[in-house]
Amino acid sequence: MPVYSVSRRRSIAILALTSLLLMTLDLQGNSIVGGVKRVFGAIFEPVQSSVRVVTRPIENAWNGITNYGELEAENQRLQDQLDQQEGSFIAALATVRDAQELLALNGIDNLADISSVTAQVIGDSASNFSQTVEINQGSKRGLRVGMPVVNAAGLVGKITWVEENRAIVLLANDVLFGAPVQVVNQAEVVAPTTSTTTSTTSSTTTTSSTTTTTSTTTIPVTGTTLFGTVTSTLVASPTTVDFSGIDFDRLSTTTIGTIVTIAPGSTSAGPSTTIDINNLSAAETGIFRGRGLDAAPIVEFIDQNSRFGEVRVGALIFTSGGSSSLAPRGIVIGRVIKIVERTGTSGAVLEVRLSARLQSLNFVRVLLYQPVATAIP
Amino acid sequence: MINLLNRPVTRLFLVGLLLLGVQTTLLTEMKFFGIIAQLLLALSITTGLVGGSESGALAGFVLGLMFDLVLTSPLGLSALVYACAGWGAGYFHSRTLANPRWLDCLVTGILSGVATFALAVVANVIGVEGWLSGRIIKVIIVVACVNAFSAFVFIPISRWCLAIRREQRISPPVELFL
Repeated sequence: MPVYSVSRRRSIAILALTSLLLMTLDLQGNSIVGGVKRVFGAIFEPVQSSVRVVTRPIENAWNGITNYGELEAENQRLQDQLDQQEGSFIAALATVRDAQELLALNGIDNLADISSVTAQVIGDSASNFSQTVEINQGSKRGLRVGMPVVNAAGLVGKITWVEENRAIVLLANDVLFGAPVQVVNQAEVVAPTTSTTTSTTSSTTTTSSTTTTTSTTTIPVTGTTLFGTVTSTLVASPTTVDFSGIDFDRLSTTTIGTIVTIAPGSTSAGPSTTIDINNLSAAETGIFRGRGLDAAPIVEFIDQNSRFGEVRVGALIFTSGGSSSLAPRGIVIGRVIKIVERTGTSGAVLEVRLSARLQSLNFVRVLLYQPVATAIP
Repeated sequence: MINLLNRPVTRLFLVGLLLLGVQTTLLTEMKFFGIIAQLLLALSITTGLVGGSESGALAGFVLGLMFDLVLTSPLGLSALVYACAGWGAGYFHSRTLANPRWLDCLVTGILSGVATFALAVVANVIGVEGWLSGRIIKVIIVVACVNAFSAFVFIPISRWCLAIRREQRISPPVELFL
């Protein structure tokens, strides 16, 4: 009894071969595949939006039933955390401002120079394997494939798909995510001391005297800090935190998607500062790679740098930037939690705990950054 | 126009589009033990169960392709696995004379689990590493269980998509007469 005719088998074989062909084309980055995805996205977007509106109450009810206790506990914990951090917020802003001035003085790009778009996460991945989220901003606001996505804690991921009003973000823990990074051992960070001195300059030829008040920020000469060893005393102008460049109202939830540009610190009237580049602390470079939901991301292919010494648990991981890197230099990724030594020349593998909590994302910032190698004029 | 809407492929596409909307919105929030149910896979398998191997493979291919088009995973990966699952369901259907509802649900569950595992294996073969991990056991169990229960709903939907009437449904499978 023939159950399957040759033609039936042939049709199944054709479907399988078509699938294999599509996979091959997609993995090679064929533009036709991108076009098809774009067309389907345009057809699917209104359907998805409609379904989202209809299913929102069900989602809310489900979340209310399943997560109520957890949300209550988390709310309490976050409230405590907020109280603790409120005091240190202003001090942190001042430190960031100082760091920006230092970077600007040395002609080094920093994150504050890069415009960004704030977006809200509106959906998670529909697959059990891919780690992606969907955000509510798209090409209309200047988003492009490859742009880094961050939140207050650090790197979240990068844009992998853009439509007019939405985009897909590949999270940093996805197996397809990779980025060049720097590993910086966390030294005994001695907090910069700030003292106010009053010096009186008297003139013997005239009767007038001048009193000058300066705020002196002293960074320890010895010991390695995060940003390197500074060999001079940095004399800065009175430390004032300039909030004018940061529009906090626009960062609030009511104005989702506004372009936020944080202007770099002014350097025109800056003090003369000498930083010995040779004494800057060395950093290992390597490749950061996600490994899915149930395994910590890793940094591998670490360049051996004799000046750096041994990588220690707790070392900080930053994006290293560069002309071809999709992310600019200096975005915090996380900390080393485990060092796995390997035999031979393959070097150690560092397991990383991400700074950003990718399971509970709400608002993110897309940095409108494109490396020199791929920038569209 | 009415004729076009009554064609199985059109019906399947429209139902698939709606299910894809549910899959990418509601189900990303309504997780069972942290795992997302795979409705399109369930529909592919039930289409194979009610319509035979050819219908199942074609439905699986179309639904899988639609799913691939909204994911970041390689295009064609879900299409291949879902087509094979639909074909497998049709093969099972052709081997039995009577399909009680509980058996259909059981087959849907088993094939869903197998397809989920196959998805990770094929991904690994084409170079997408990291899907084959300890978590996959949990994914397989949850997807199999949820899809088995959802078969109660999807079997009538699949019949409507393929425009299978009652007299056709209760008659022996077409393959027996080939």
